[in-house]
Amino acid sequence: MTNKEEIFGLIKDKVVEVLPFLDSTLITPESSLRDFGANSIDRMEILLETMEALNAKVPMTEFGKITNIQGIVDLLYEKLHEG
Amino acid sequence: MKDKSCVVVTGMGVVSSIGRDLIEFTASLYRGTSGIGFLPSALSDGVDAKIGATLQDFSLDAALLQRYAVPDSLAHATLQCANRMPLGVQAAVAASLQAWLQAGGPEWNIDRRRVGVIVGGSNISPRLPYELNEKFRQAPTYLNPRYAYQYLDTLQVGVLSEILGTRGEGFTVGGASASGNVAIIKARQAINSGDLDACVVVGAMADLSPMELQSFFNIGALAGKRFRDQPEKACRPFDTQHEGFVYGQAAGCLVLESLESAERRQVEPLAEIAGAAFLMDANHLPDPSEEGEAMAMSSALRQAGIGPERVDYLNAHGTASPLGDATEIKAIKQVFAEKAEKLWVNSTKGLTGHCLYSAGVVEAVATVVQMREGFLHPNRNLDEPIERVCRFCSTESEATQAEIAMSNSFGFGGINTSIVLSKGVR
Repeated sequence: MTNKEEIFGLIKDKVVEVLPFLDSTLITPESSLRDFGANSIDRMEILLETMEALNAKVPMTEFGKITNIQGIVDLLYEKLHEG
Repeated sequence: MKDKSCVVVTGMGVVSSIGRDLIEFTASLYRGTSGIGFLPSALSDGVDAKIGATLQDFSLDAALLQRYAVPDSLAHATLQCANRMPLGVQAAVAASLQAWLQAGGPEWNIDRRRVGVIVGGSNISPRLPYELNEKFRQAPTYLNPRYAYQYLDTLQVGVLSEILGTRGEGFTVGGASASGNVAIIKARQAINSGDLDACVVVGAMADLSPMELQSFFNIGALAGKRFRDQPEKACRPFDTQHEGFVYGQAAGCLVLESLESAERRQVEPLAEIAGAAFLMDANHLPDPSEEGEAMAMSSALRQAGIGPERVDYLNAHGTASPLGDATEIKAIKQVFAEKAEKLWVNSTKGLTGHCLYSAGVVEAVATVVQMREGFLHPNRNLDEPIERVCRFCSTESEATQAEIAMSNSFGFGGINTSIVLSKGVR
């Protein structure tokens, strides 16, 4: 089973891919995609590609209230481990 | 006295299989270098089309922008906006930046609401859905959200407007293989009408998938049968052994501007678009029309106020399709009559392949380059002309000072266009 660290690593890889001019050392669990200047389509692409890599399907609306990358990690982890 | 409302070229750019910038493109034209080879496997695997002139290894990166001497802030904005865009968009941006810089764009003291962007081409990127299709059928949920705007042809308009900061009208025009000329004609009209002072005119790279290539093969339009193993010999405009066109990838750009605006900015015009015509021949099929082609050429000359005897050079549509070449020759005979004997004719497609949507713009760039540099490029592979009615350039460059030139583009579906270019502003 994928652990939270691995999920974070995946998200980080996708952020670097989508925002190639970003200093990757800034990507921490506490940071938010918006902080990096990611627009709504950038954010959606990062989320969809991470979900694809995890073979997870989470409705986009569930990410709505999440404020940082840790929140994304937690939600994906929870979905992967529920049943 | 010069007519201040006339429309001139103040910038040019090109990205093609024979040159990533104007200098390389010019040298290739002069030498008659061919960009034609075997298609990469991503385009040719499993289909019958094997030959093409592609933008191998092209990408819009910092090194390329440095080569174009793009100022740092503009280079940064360009990479931010376009670095992950489809190949065709990157090629359009690269061609446009060259033209924009040559026209002095970054320093323009001009109302940006009076600068437009017109992109020639429709169904520009069928390769995009083609490549996503298999994965989409298996898992639609994971479709890349960018597809929602990247499949639209107008993506190129938006990207260019964002990078160049233009605020005037921006749109795409479709005219099949004549799209480039159609874009030039529409930009000229917008400037003539007074709606724009200047316009960035782009010939979009036709980003075809194996499906379009196979369809061209199936209607018998593609070369590469007799010369299947010798791609450099496959494209033979006006030669008795011609057998169809070779797919070419390229993007081209012209900055068109009113003479008044160019003079106000103290920029030297590179050429004038002296006349242009766009006429249908009332036929939806791919076959060419002698009547339609002759009408387009005559109308463009009439509009320019130039008699056929004054045209030094014709950049032919010349795709190397047997019927297309023969039809164009008949139309030339009709328009130029005995004057055709002195008319120099070549086809840039013999070097670049048929660049489809961008052909008109790429060939207008080639025409202006040749007029300004005093040569006419070789007709590659023209060993035995189908007719000797006009003065075909040989397989070597000709040192010739062409003052007045014409460039033809014809498209499937009865589309006939012709533009007349003058080296000096009349």
